[in-house]
Amino acid sequence: MKAIIASEWLKARTVRSHWVLIIIAMMFPLIISTLVGILNPDPQYVSYREVVSIVASSGAFSLLLLSSLWVINLTSEFTHGTIRVTYAAVPARWKVIVSKAVIGTLVTAVVMTVLFWLNLGLGAALLNSRGAYIIVDGWFDHSFKVFVALVTFAIIVSWFGLGLGVLIKNSPVAIVVVLLWPLIIENLIALALALSGYESAWKWMPYQTAFQGIEGASGFDSALSRPWGHLYFAAFVIVVGSIAVVADRRRDA
Amino acid sequence: MIIVEGLTKRFGNTVAINDLHFSVQPGRVTGFLGPNGSGKSTTLRCMVDLDHPQSGNVTFSGKQYRQIEDPIRTVGVLLDASYVHPGRSARHHLEWLALSNHLDRRRVDEVLALVGLTDVAHRRVKTFSLGMKQRLGLAATMLGDPEVVILDEPANGLDPEGIRWMRDMLQYLAGQGRAVLVSSHQLSEMALMAEELVVIGRGQLIAHESAADFIARHTTTRIRVRSPQIDVIVRAVRERGGDASILSVVADTDGALVTGMSMIDVGELAHGNGAVVHELSEVTDSLEDAFLAVTRDDQEYRSGSSS
Repeated sequence: MKAIIASEWLKARTVRSHWVLIIIAMMFPLIISTLVGILNPDPQYVSYREVVSIVASSGAFSLLLLSSLWVINLTSEFTHGTIRVTYAAVPARWKVIVSKAVIGTLVTAVVMTVLFWLNLGLGAALLNSRGAYIIVDGWFDHSFKVFVALVTFAIIVSWFGLGLGVLIKNSPVAIVVVLLWPLIIENLIALALALSGYESAWKWMPYQTAFQGIEGASGFDSALSRPWGHLYFAAFVIVVGSIAVVADRRRDA
Repeated sequence: MIIVEGLTKRFGNTVAINDLHFSVQPGRVTGFLGPNGSGKSTTLRCMVDLDHPQSGNVTFSGKQYRQIEDPIRTVGVLLDASYVHPGRSARHHLEWLALSNHLDRRRVDEVLALVGLTDVAHRRVKTFSLGMKQRLGLAATMLGDPEVVILDEPANGLDPEGIRWMRDMLQYLAGQGRAVLVSSHQLSEMALMAEELVVIGRGQLIAHESAADFIARHTTTRIRVRSPQIDVIVRAVRERGGDASILSVVADTDGALVTGMSMIDVGELAHGNGAVVHELSEVTDSLEDAFLAVTRDDQEYRSGSSS
């Protein structure tokens, strides 16, 4: 398994489009933090929680880009036919998908960690230079909990992208589904269920439940609190991934 | 050694392969022939577990493909030279393959040298010609130094020098005791390369025999004779009776094509009748003639008449 993970890591790092997506994912929150730090009209009234909230919100955009990266990582193999070379070299197909998930987990964790603390530091430094007084709290404070929640959520979303990539195989369609899932698809499902009499269905939409839990209690009437919301979303994604692995094993490459 | 037993593959209601049986022996090049849509590529994909047949079994020295640990060490397969990420360099393409099967990265340099791509190893594959991609595909096939080599149309896109290189390479690999199975439409090449043939049509086995036997069984050998006294020879051949017959008078000069008699018989007949002979030669049909004769009823797509 280690050999396959090493092989998948080499594949992932030798495609330029992957790096481009990572750079864009890193740049967007940096731009937001810089703009907030420079342009905020009342820096002295900005609280530490608000800075964390801005970083987490802009990180949500980045994690969507990262999930697109893992969609492309898999679907481009189908596009270029390299999936046949891959599966001929590793006939146990699940090992390839699990290896990609491991790489996705590690890369997403590293990128989101750098992104979170860099932006938090940058935003705080810029605001402090303009008269704000933002203290970096201790190890287990609010910021660290948000950081853990954001990274965990990003990792689960990367698995989601990978699972959809395996199921759908077509890059544009899979990316559209990944991007529209939180924006439209879950809301439509919730609406359909609400019209059928299950009015609290939207509380149980897995992506939204986990996403709203990143910053803890925020007025969102979720059925589940932060760790349980993430576990619920992870369970949903694991079910999707398992269906994808079984389907992939059964169909012709 | 490859053994294919009762392989059947359907796509919906279409039967791509129907109860296919054949074997590929080590130490020789086996040609895999069939018209377009006959099921060759599907067969090759089923052999390496990419497509799942409804029934049948394929074994490599007694093991199914999925049972082989680090399979590219045992079976080298090239299905399509374009199955490479265009943005990745040739070296990286071979390196990830090597890593996946616990192969030393030094082996990558060896196979790059083997196919003559060392100088361009760092270049992205999208800058490669089709011929260079074929060479890269063969390098990937040879990466694990496998005992079985399977190639689908390896000479596609190669120039004459490349085709000769590929032919020599495959014969060299077979000479080392490997089982080499090659699918190709280039029948003239196959005639020079393959000792054994597996011919399929509409997913079914049509022939499985040596190339020499296949050509002999499905073609007619004729004797070309040219002489200033061709009438004498023609009359003598006809008087000999049996199944000897004049097929046609050769257009350029006094000549004829004779069937049913050996070259020696025709020569002695001419001599016995006092006829001067300017040419006496055997005309043998090609593998292409034999292939077209055998697969006449199995062509899925056929050209219309030009008249």
